[in-house]
Amino acid sequence: MKIHIFYCSNCLDTDLLRKQLEIKGNGERDHQIQTVSLPCSGKVNLLYLLKAFEKGSDGVLLVTCGQGACKFLEGNLRARKRAKAVDSMLEETGLGKGRMIVVQKSEEGIEQITAALLQLKDNILQDTERSQE
Amino acid sequence: MIVAERKTIPELVDILEGHKKILVLGCGTCVTVCLAGGEREVSIISSALRIASRVKNLSFEIEELTIERQCDNVFIEEAAKAVERNDVVLSLGCGAGVQAIAERYLTKPVYAGLNTAFIGILEERGIWAEKCAACGACVLDQYGGICPVTRCAKHMLNGPCGGSREDRCEVRPDRPCGWQLIYQRLKGIGQLDRLKRIVPPKNWAPSLGGGCRVIVREDHRI
Repeated sequence: MKIHIFYCSNCLDTDLLRKQLEIKGNGERDHQIQTVSLPCSGKVNLLYLLKAFEKGSDGVLLVTCGQGACKFLEGNLRARKRAKAVDSMLEETGLGKGRMIVVQKSEEGIEQITAALLQLKDNILQDTERSQE
Repeated sequence: MIVAERKTIPELVDILEGHKKILVLGCGTCVTVCLAGGEREVSIISSALRIASRVKNLSFEIEELTIERQCDNVFIEEAAKAVERNDVVLSLGCGAGVQAIAERYLTKPVYAGLNTAFIGILEERGIWAEKCAACGACVLDQYGGICPVTRCAKHMLNGPCGGSREDRCEVRPDRPCGWQLIYQRLKGIGQLDRLKRIVPPKNWAPSLGGGCRVIVREDHRI
């Protein structure tokens, strides 16, 4: 399973995220998760996200700043809307809904990302099972 | 400008099924401005089609190109080699652009990737609204520059229908009443007297009723 994480570098510490994600339970690196740092989550457009899927990603997680916390005021709001448009478009392509998840950063920190990743993996598995039926 | 919106991916897949080499051709003019068929939209739609092709095992091979204007032979020429390389063209131009490409490349199937909607303007970010019905006999001079044919849902030429609520149209409450706008505008420019005139029924002959409309300018012909 291949997953891309696009994240705003203003709300997540890059080293901490990579450290958390690159170590699996058995201590090995998880090469299936790729991270893409953004100067603001508002930098993503539909094409960035679609390209990830086109190049073989099974799911994309987009991490934005919390409400009212965007350094550029409304980047996180734009990002959320674009992610929603991509989710609809993926449904149109037949790939299914729920493979594009947005996480708005809160106090929970990195644990929140881990939980969202599990949710995303679950969505992908369910979707794959549905399509095989 | 001409305003259009993209067809859905299932519609496009339906249109393209059975073809392999596809040229997605964008237009750099009106449909770029209305975010429907410019260079970026060509990439987005192509990407979505590649995903759909993988999911449905359709083996599409998609090439992307955007030319300055699809409705002009000078620019269409720039697409000649790309059109030649591919089996079909999915045009993201307006209806005129699609037909111009089809007329130029007689042996190549050309399909429309957009639904051409209307002539309009960007009202605010992400909202385009119709302003002109291209009726062929403009009456804007009589109504303070606000068109009763497009802005009034009932195309009333002699005053409001009386059904508006506050300043909202009774047919589409999300839109302002066209006649409220006309009144305010004429009042603002001191031409309220215009409303006292009875306007005869509109001559629709220059509109679509007579088939394809053509304008001939002999002074521009050799």
